[in-house]
Amino acid sequence: MTICRATRYHRLVLLLASVLTGACSTDIIIHGDYPSALTRQLPHHVGLVLDDTFTHYTFESSQEQDVTMALGESQTALFSQIFGDIFKSATRLNTINQTLTSKVDLVVVPHIEEVQLAMPFETRLNVFEVWLKYNLQVFDSEGEPIADWLMTSYGKTQSRLLTSEEEALNQATTEALRDAGVRLVIGFHRVPEIRDWLASQQTPGTLAQGDSQ
Amino acid sequence: MRHSVVTQITTLALVILSLAACSTSTTIDEFREARLDLELSDSEQVVVMGRRHAGEYETEPDFIDCIGNRLASGGKVSVMPEQQFLDSFYPWFEPRVAPLKLKRMGMMLNDPLIAERINSLSIRYLIWVDGRTETTEKSGSVNCALALGGGGCFGFASWDKTASYEATVWDLKQLDEEGRVKVSTEGSSYVLAVVAPIPFIAQVQDNACKGIGDRLKGFFSHVEPGRSKRN
Repeated sequence: MTICRATRYHRLVLLLASVLTGACSTDIIIHGDYPSALTRQLPHHVGLVLDDTFTHYTFESSQEQDVTMALGESQTALFSQIFGDIFKSATRLNTINQTLTSKVDLVVVPHIEEVQLAMPFETRLNVFEVWLKYNLQVFDSEGEPIADWLMTSYGKTQSRLLTSEEEALNQATTEALRDAGVRLVIGFHRVPEIRDWLASQQTPGTLAQGDSQ
Repeated sequence: MRHSVVTQITTLALVILSLAACSTSTTIDEFREARLDLELSDSEQVVVMGRRHAGEYETEPDFIDCIGNRLASGGKVSVMPEQQFLDSFYPWFEPRVAPLKLKRMGMMLNDPLIAERINSLSIRYLIWVDGRTETTEKSGSVNCALALGGGGCFGFASWDKTASYEATVWDLKQLDEEGRVKVSTEGSSYVLAVVAPIPFIAQVQDNACKGIGDRLKGFFSHVEPGRSKRN
């Protein structure tokens, strides 16, 4: 009888502990819709290498509050969309080795370098903020490196309009991803090494829109 | 007898408080380039957009929706939702790159891609709204307690809110600024808690929306559904 009571007590403590732990953690999968970019397409075939570390990327933080944010699926959707819009055609590849068998002019390998969050309990502001930092490695069709482009983006949201912390983080992160799309459309062909490569491919007139910025 | 007097005084105090609490003051300044109303054919659309380039604040999307709905009410003016416009022109009107001045807008319209999309969607006017609603002062507190026998809240709290916005109308056909409307609304809200909390909320942002929306509607007051005009 005593053993039975002790077991019940332990179960109750465990249940309470798990509820309390859960109450202090945020676990979300980022969902966002990204529109087609209104841009003039570059007349090249690009190979976009999105490996598992990118497509299944999950950000985890345990500073003061546990946050787990799966943004691999959402960033994969954004990069696929944007590179499909920037270039005449885009092929998604799983590994860089596949570029040898694919007829592509340019290979882009994005990596997510860093994710930073600022939440109201840290900043004392009524806002959620997200910073994303990407490294885009660009190679030519021979596998020779052309450029290493570090690109940052930012998104924020007002917490008072949102029903939950999860919703706020989702909105701030999709804003940051949308901002990353802006950087890609406007900034990709302006990276000096990429600009030089495009110039060497003799593609006059293709940069007119971006250059008007 | 004494109980009845107390009840009457409390009721009177609540009525006075609610009347005072619900009052807001609104100041509107309007400037138009021309005394004439603006041209708008039945096929042309207006877009209301919030400014979000500043780091410390952003114009609230629900406030922009409110102005759009106000402008569209009556069926004279066709308003494209902000998000639909942003998606149609992605990424050119995102906070990082949206044109702050007409000159920059003109440069963007020199690009056939953007100009063609503007024409295909028949967007004639872009109304930029910049500003925010903020709480300027807070005082008092309300405390709530829950026990086995029941619970309740006691206390008094008040806060002041100020909504300050400016709308600027751009004519994309003439590439001209057609006018500005500036609105400033202030109001105080209260929560009186005697067992149950009773809120008296001043509709500061709603009143700012009505003020700015109605004035903007006045820019198109002679528009008849199905007719093009400049009277």
